[in-house]
Amino acid sequence: MKSRRKTVLCWLLILPAVAPVVLAMVLVMIMAVSQSVGVFSFGEPGHFTLAYWDQVLSDAQLWRATGYSLKIGVISAILSVAIATPLALWLRKPFTGSSLMSGLLKAPLMVHGLVAALLFINLIAWQGFINLALIKMGIISRPLRMQNDQWGIGVIILQVWKQLPFALLIISGSVRSVGDEIFNAARNLGAGAISRLRQITLPLCIKAVQVSLMLIFIGALGDFSFQVVAGPTNIFSISQYMLRLPETGDHGWNQAAVVAVILMLTAFVGALGIAVLAKLIQVVWEAR
Amino acid sequence: MKKNVDSSTLRICVMILIAGLFMLWLVIPFILTILWSLVDKSQPWAWPDALPPALSFGRWVEVWTTTALPQALRNSYQLAPAVAIITLLLALPASWAFGRMEFTGKAVVQNAVLLPLVVPGFVIALFFSSLLNFIGVASRYWGILIGHSIILMPYAVRILTISFAQIRQDTIDAARDMGASHFQRFSVAWLPTLQPGIFAAFIIVFTLSIEEFAISYIIGSPDFTTVPTILYSYLGYKFIRPNAAVISIMLVVPNVILMLIAEKLMIRNPVSSFAAKG
Repeated sequence: MKSRRKTVLCWLLILPAVAPVVLAMVLVMIMAVSQSVGVFSFGEPGHFTLAYWDQVLSDAQLWRATGYSLKIGVISAILSVAIATPLALWLRKPFTGSSLMSGLLKAPLMVHGLVAALLFINLIAWQGFINLALIKMGIISRPLRMQNDQWGIGVIILQVWKQLPFALLIISGSVRSVGDEIFNAARNLGAGAISRLRQITLPLCIKAVQVSLMLIFIGALGDFSFQVVAGPTNIFSISQYMLRLPETGDHGWNQAAVVAVILMLTAFVGALGIAVLAKLIQVVWEAR
Repeated sequence: MKKNVDSSTLRICVMILIAGLFMLWLVIPFILTILWSLVDKSQPWAWPDALPPALSFGRWVEVWTTTALPQALRNSYQLAPAVAIITLLLALPASWAFGRMEFTGKAVVQNAVLLPLVVPGFVIALFFSSLLNFIGVASRYWGILIGHSIILMPYAVRILTISFAQIRQDTIDAARDMGASHFQRFSVAWLPTLQPGIFAAFIIVFTLSIEEFAISYIIGSPDFTTVPTILYSYLGYKFIRPNAAVISIMLVVPNVILMLIAEKLMIRNPVSSFAAKG
C-alpha cells in the first residue's frame, strides 16, 4: 500500500515536466501525419487522401534531398565518432596538459551553429585565410573557390567540427568508467595494448559509440543552418526542401508534412540500423 | 625506456596538432570575424587585400541603428529568463523523483523526456507552429516561450537529476540524528549540492534559449525577431558578412562567458555535454 502511494507521488512529481514534453511531441507527430494524409488541412475541411504522398514521392528533388542528407548524416556521424574514439582513449588517463587539450577539443560546443558557419566561411572564402595563406606562400596564384562546394564537403567538415566534441564527451564518460583494475588484470594476464583495446575498451564503450552515432546522425540528417550557409547551391537538404514547401502553393503544408514524416522515418530507421549494427559488433566481439 | 620516449613524443605531436587545429578552426576565424565587423563601409575589404584597408565602428553603429537588432536583443533577453524559470520550476520536482526515488516505469519516462533531442529540430518547429495555429495561440512570444520550455526541458531535467542523485544520504541521516529540523537538514545536506546544479541548469537553459534558431525562426517570422534569426537574415538569406560578424560577436561572447560559468559550477558533470543542439 505504502509502495503504491510512493509510486503515485513519484508520478505526480514527474508529470509537470514529462507531460508537456510527451504531449507536445506526440501532438507534433500526429499533426505531421494527419496533415500528410489530408485529415487536417489549413483553410479547408480535411479528408483522407494519399495525393500529397503521390505528389511528393514523384518529385525527383525529394529523392535527391533525401540521398544528400543521408550522405551528410552517415559520413558526419562516422567521421565524428572515428576521430572522437581514439581521442577519448588518449585522454582516459590524466597527463600534463590533458585538461587543456580536453578544453580545446570541447570549445566548439559553445559556438552557435550559425556562428560556426560564419567562422568556417572566414576560413574558406575567396578572400578567406586559407586562400590568403596559400597565395602568400606562393602555392597558388589565384584564390580557389571552396565556398558552397557541390559535394557538401564544407557541410561535413562543419558537422564534424561541431559534433566531434559532443561524441568525445559521451565516449570519454564511458571510457573513464572502465575501472583500472580490469586493465591491470588484463595486463597481468599478458594482454598487450591492442588486445586490451580490442577486448576491453571497445566492447565496454560500444554503447556510448552507438548513442553518439545515433544523435549525430539525426542532427546532421535534419540540418538546415549549415546547408543554407555553406552547402551546395544546386541541391537541397531534406529540411531545406521541407521548409520551402509551405510557401509553394495551397497544399504546401500537406506536402511539407509528407517530407517531415519521411524525415522522421529516415531518422528512426537510420538510428535503428546503427543500434542493430552496434549490437551485432558486440555479439561478434563477445563470441571471440 | 625507448617505448616511453616514443609515447611521450607522440603525445607532444598530438598536442601540437590539436593546438594547431584549434588555432586554425577557432582563433584565426574569430579574429577574422572581429576584423570583418570593423571593416569601414567607405573602403570595403576585397581581394587581394590581406587586411581591411580601414577600420571603424561604423558597421556596429549601422547595425544597431538601422536593423531590428535592439528589438531582437530585447526579445531574446526577455524570453530566455522566462524560459529558464518556467523550465526549472517544472523540472525540479521531476528531477527530485528521478534522482532520489525508485518507481515503476522510471527508465521509460526518463527516456521519454529526451524525445525533443531525437526528433529533427525543424520538424518540431514546423509542426509545433502548425499545432499552435490549430489550438489558436496567436502570440508569437507565448508560442516561442512554450516551444523553448518544451525542447529545453531534457537539459534541465538531466542536470538537476544528477544534482539530486549526488546528495549524500549519510549527510542527511547524520543531520537528522543530530536533531536538525527539516529546514536545517535541507540547508546543510540538500542545498549545497543542489545550488550549483540549479545555477548551471538555469544558465544552460538561458543560453540555449538565446541560441535557439528553428522555433524562433518558424514561429517568430516575420515580425518577432531574436538574435539568431537576425543573424540568419545576414548569413543565409542575404549574405552581408560585416553585419553577420557584428551580430555573431554579440551572440557568441556573452553566451561563451555564461557557459564557462556553468561549466565551473558543474565540474564533476560538465554541462557542455548537454549543450550540443546548436
